[in-house]
Amino acid sequence: MIYKILLTIWMNLIIAAVFLYVEPAVGFPGEVSRILFFHVPMAWVATLAFLLSMIASSVYLITRKVNADFLAQSSAELGFLFCFLATVTGSIFAKATWGSFWNWDPRQTSIVMLLMIYGAYFVLRSAVPDYEKRRVFAGVYSILAFCTVPFLIFVVPRITTSLHPEDTLNPANPGMDIKTLIFFLGSLCAYTGLFVWMLRLKVRMLRIMDREQRAFRSNF
Amino acid sequence: MHPTKSGRWITQTVSSTYLSEAVAIWLRDLRSEFRTRYAVNSILMFALTTLVAVSFSIGSFRIEESERPFLYAVLLWIILVFSALSGLSRSFVKEQESGTMDILKLSARPQAVFLGKLFFNLTMLGVLELIIVPAFILLMGYKIKFPGCFVAMMVTGGLGLGAGTTLVAAMIAQADARGALFSALSFPLLLPLIITAIKGSERAAYGISAAGWPEVKIAAAYAVIMITISLLLFPLIWEE
Repeated sequence: MIYKILLTIWMNLIIAAVFLYVEPAVGFPGEVSRILFFHVPMAWVATLAFLLSMIASSVYLITRKVNADFLAQSSAELGFLFCFLATVTGSIFAKATWGSFWNWDPRQTSIVMLLMIYGAYFVLRSAVPDYEKRRVFAGVYSILAFCTVPFLIFVVPRITTSLHPEDTLNPANPGMDIKTLIFFLGSLCAYTGLFVWMLRLKVRMLRIMDREQRAFRSNF
Repeated sequence: MHPTKSGRWITQTVSSTYLSEAVAIWLRDLRSEFRTRYAVNSILMFALTTLVAVSFSIGSFRIEESERPFLYAVLLWIILVFSALSGLSRSFVKEQESGTMDILKLSARPQAVFLGKLFFNLTMLGVLELIIVPAFILLMGYKIKFPGCFVAMMVTGGLGLGAGTTLVAAMIAQADARGALFSALSFPLLLPLIITAIKGSERAAYGISAAGWPEVKIAAAYAVIMITISLLLFPLIWEE
């Protein structure tokens, strides 16, 4: 409960500060550079969630502990949500700076690939009736899909050059001013905190559903 | 018949290797395919129908000469990939439908089963490419400057297609709604390969020389990685 309240206050502070306190970055028309504080943390959380899901799947395949699969499933679902939000916000930014919502920039290509892979992951989960088999298949598929990701990172950028801003809006670049950097990191923490809160809720929900189903089946 | 140390029953008294088991499964599948011709017919008819539709609506003169190498490569790979997706799942779905899955589990080691099915799928893809690619070149007037590179791209692309789909076929054979599921699950895994193969075929047709055929190497690397990972993961889904 206290975690929820602190998270709410923290997120509100960050949102207010990035609109009222931080100046927009140079080299971008109008206010569009403020997307940095929302779009990048979403993409970061999506990456974190998919990675966590892959690791939890591997743990499930080795130990066969059901909790690991609950974590894998919840993490994949939240990753999908944040990935979708990152796609939408990125697309709005693309319209504002490059002039079109969609132009198959390498970044857009790889994010759509991720959405397709995890879309297929959920389809596979819903199509296998047996619980144990479903968990194993989902784990196997997510590892298999993870192995194609290096090809996306190395192959797709060979084909076209990216318009995605890397220099002035990259936190690793010394060109970013200190005020922006502080609030960017604050926003990153806020989004990660939000993800952890949602993940715990989702895992608890799956655990309760599983218990109810077991109780229901044991009646017969 | 007698049990081995691990308690598994094998049908042969001579010690069989992974490769000999895989070849036995491959030959058995080829024989049963030769009797029914279900997979090969469905793949080839799908491919021919698509090819005729493309050729009829585009013809050999509609597209500008300078645009052809790229657009024809896209069309060719769309035909190949979707025909392959229409029939490659048969190799495992067949076992499930005829109820021979359990016997197969008892009579061969999982990796050997995977390799046998992979060989069978690669044979199907070989037949598909041998018929469709020359037909496409003839019907569309596709001029290729570097035939060697083009053939290498077709071979490695076919290898990648087989490698990326065989494990998915084994999974969907044990799931509901098999037909649609196979394409939905395979396509995201195949997309990097398809992009590479289109780029490689385009380059071969244009005659832009690149040192060492990079796309051919990428497709070969994709095939090797997918086969290795599948060999590691296959026992998990096979012995459920």
